[in-house]
Amino acid sequence: MKPNFVQKVTNWGNFPIVEKEMKSDDSVSKIKQFVRDNNEVIARGNGRCYGDASLGEHIFSTKRLNKFISFDRLNGIIECESGVLLSEVLEVTVPQGYFLYVTPGTKFVSVGGAIASDVHGKNHHAEGCFSEYVTEFKLLNENSEVITCSREENTDKFWATIGGMGLTGIILSAKFKLKNIESAYIRQESIKAENLDEVFKLFDESEDWTYNVAWIDCFQKGKNLGRSILMRGEHALKAELPSNLQKKSLKLKEKFKPTVPFYFPGFVLNALTIKIFNFLYYNKQTKKQLNNFIDYETFFYPLDVINDWNKIYGKSGFIQYQMVIPKENGKEGMRQILDAIAKSGNGSFLAVLKLFGKDNPLAYNSFPKEGYTLALDFKVNKGLKKLVEQLDTIVENFGGRIYLTKDSMSKSSLTNYLQNVDSSKFVSLQHKRILSGGN
Amino acid sequence: MIVLGSNSEVAQAFVEECLAQGEKFPTIYLLSSNPETTEKFAGHLQVKFLQNSEIIPLDLMKEIDYKALENINSDLLFCASGYLGLGTEEGLYDDENTTQIIDVNYAKLVPVLNFFAKKMESKRSGTMIVLSSVAGERGRQSNFIYGSAKAGLTAYLSGLRNYLFDKKVHVLTVKPGFMETKMTEGLPLNPALTATPKKAAAGIYKAYKNKKDVAYVLPIWAIIMMIIRNIPEFIFKKLKL
Ligand SMILES: Cc1cc2nc3c(=O)[nH]c(=O)nc-3n(C[C@H](O)[C@H](O)[C@H](O)COP(=O)(O)OP(=O)(O)OC[C@H]3O[C@@H](n4cnc5c(N)ncnc54)[C@H](O)[C@@H]3O)c2cc1C
Repeated sequence: MKPNFVQKVTNWGNFPIVEKEMKSDDSVSKIKQFVRDNNEVIARGNGRCYGDASLGEHIFSTKRLNKFISFDRLNGIIECESGVLLSEVLEVTVPQGYFLYVTPGTKFVSVGGAIASDVHGKNHHAEGCFSEYVTEFKLLNENSEVITCSREENTDKFWATIGGMGLTGIILSAKFKLKNIESAYIRQESIKAENLDEVFKLFDESEDWTYNVAWIDCFQKGKNLGRSILMRGEHALKAELPSNLQKKSLKLKEKFKPTVPFYFPGFVLNALTIKIFNFLYYNKQTKKQLNNFIDYETFFYPLDVINDWNKIYGKSGFIQYQMVIPKENGKEGMRQILDAIAKSGNGSFLAVLKLFGKDNPLAYNSFPKEGYTLALDFKVNKGLKKLVEQLDTIVENFGGRIYLTKDSMSKSSLTNYLQNVDSSKFVSLQHKRILSGGN
Repeated sequence: MIVLGSNSEVAQAFVEECLAQGEKFPTIYLLSSNPETTEKFAGHLQVKFLQNSEIIPLDLMKEIDYKALENINSDLLFCASGYLGLGTEEGLYDDENTTQIIDVNYAKLVPVLNFFAKKMESKRSGTMIVLSSVAGERGRQSNFIYGSAKAGLTAYLSGLRNYLFDKKVHVLTVKPGFMETKMTEGLPLNPALTATPKKAAAGIYKAYKNKKDVAYVLPIWAIIMMIIRNIPEFIFKKLKL
């Protein structure tokens, strides 16, 4: 048996699927060799982007760059290799009273992926993107040199790489700051909103909360358009926890995690089942407002509770459509988007609305801009392309853009916003698709 | 804990599994032919588990400095040292390759294992977990030099287990089948027969706690090897395995 590194690779949406070379190593000299030997290289972390961003002709998987390097427990600064997952960071740091400043909705992303997509969480309005807390990283660039990038050193590469989708090189390791927490719990308030106007009002009223997110039932039309539940939260102080949680405030019990064993047949997830799900979800909470303490996993990572949940969308896969519309037009934009979706009958199992705060102008490749952002899951089917085109047009009319880490079929005028990343060495299928104007 | 072959992904996963299970070790001795790479793992253990470790150079392809091993003591030894070398097609008549395979998997490894066995025998306690291979169960044309060295190791371990039994030292022989490691990267392995290092480590840890004598990493391999062992020689010799 001779090694043949060509294999089927796909990301979280199971769309597209490609057969390409994928290698992994933990030796810097071998990684350098890989970059030298190949013309089109792209890094891949844990494949949690939905589309084709981490696919390319020659994929370097960072799964073996999985070691911690140092942890300054006094100042809360941790350094690790780029393939370390945020879940692993939390395992180490939460019991010691530290949390990630910024986390996406799944903890199974790598540190390299978090920087390359400059991920955001439910706290963008208050604490910005992941990059705000990155103090430095090591980058293997197109000349196969390892350079240290920070706000003082190689600053051009530092900022181009943040949100740069792997197109500036392979991040080998990174150092970032953590925030102090007193407990592993979140004080949460969830409030039901009848429609879009009400949820927008709730967002405005919740500005002082660190974490805000709303789940929207996107099957509703007319006066119920935008029916939703807004959840806001703060890291709970030890003293405010109920006494049964106070004793081990930084430890969570291990939970059982079911796994989706196979791809669901295509018919399982259809407009009707999604409607039922949304109905149950919305009505599970009977009161207008619910206040409670929940552990951080349930608050930040509700979907991580089920392994491989992406398989429920069946073999044809699904896409996530996430856009941002600038604040001034945001409300009207959201209304039109939700209207178009409700009319199309192409419901989304999951529709998440957030409000972005001001962006960091230095991180020019980052996706977030001040305004409203909506993320929607759609099963891949014949009608999807048309719906995406329709949504793209609305987003464009309102001056918005699409999140690259979720994109696999949007208009290139909404996805070509990266700067200073053109290199013949680091090339992803996504970037090629965008540059060719195709979608 | 004493770890031979500290850069092996399975060895590292096993160390992590033990620590995650709450095992305590004053020091973990990381014996390694490549101390520089092991440094990274030592740092990782320090960050992740606040675990002290000591790196000791040990290269089975070179002269062994037993003095450097004198002060190493522990109740648990994990050995993942091994060397695949070239297979039959490229390597059978390459003497250096043959010698290296035999040295690392058997000839030079056994005295080192004996060295630590003696310490455990005198303390009348301890466990030695050693990775051998399913390749040692029957010589196959594709890599029988490696297989024969592992067969020697397997026989040695069963004898050692027998000898140390009433001296209260436990010997566990592990026979991994395919594992998803750097060594096998890019090979078209059947996922149903292939264990990740993490999964392998969890299985080995269980076998250790249950005082098993011989363990396959995935149970399916016990069945496969039973079949392979029982194919009559006159048929086996005609197979292209
Ligand atoms: C359930 C779910 C919820 C999510 N919620 C959010 C959310 O709330 N907010 C948000 O911002 N994102 C969210 N995401 C998206 C996810 O955070 C990003 O796609 C993240 O980049 C994935 O990281 P990864 O390690 O899996 O990287 P991959 O998916 O493998 O790669 C993503 C990009 O990063 C690049 N990359 C990866 N590693 C490196 C490296 N070492 N060096 C250089 N480039 C690299 C790749 O080339 C690619 O362009 C969510 C995803 C899922 C599945």
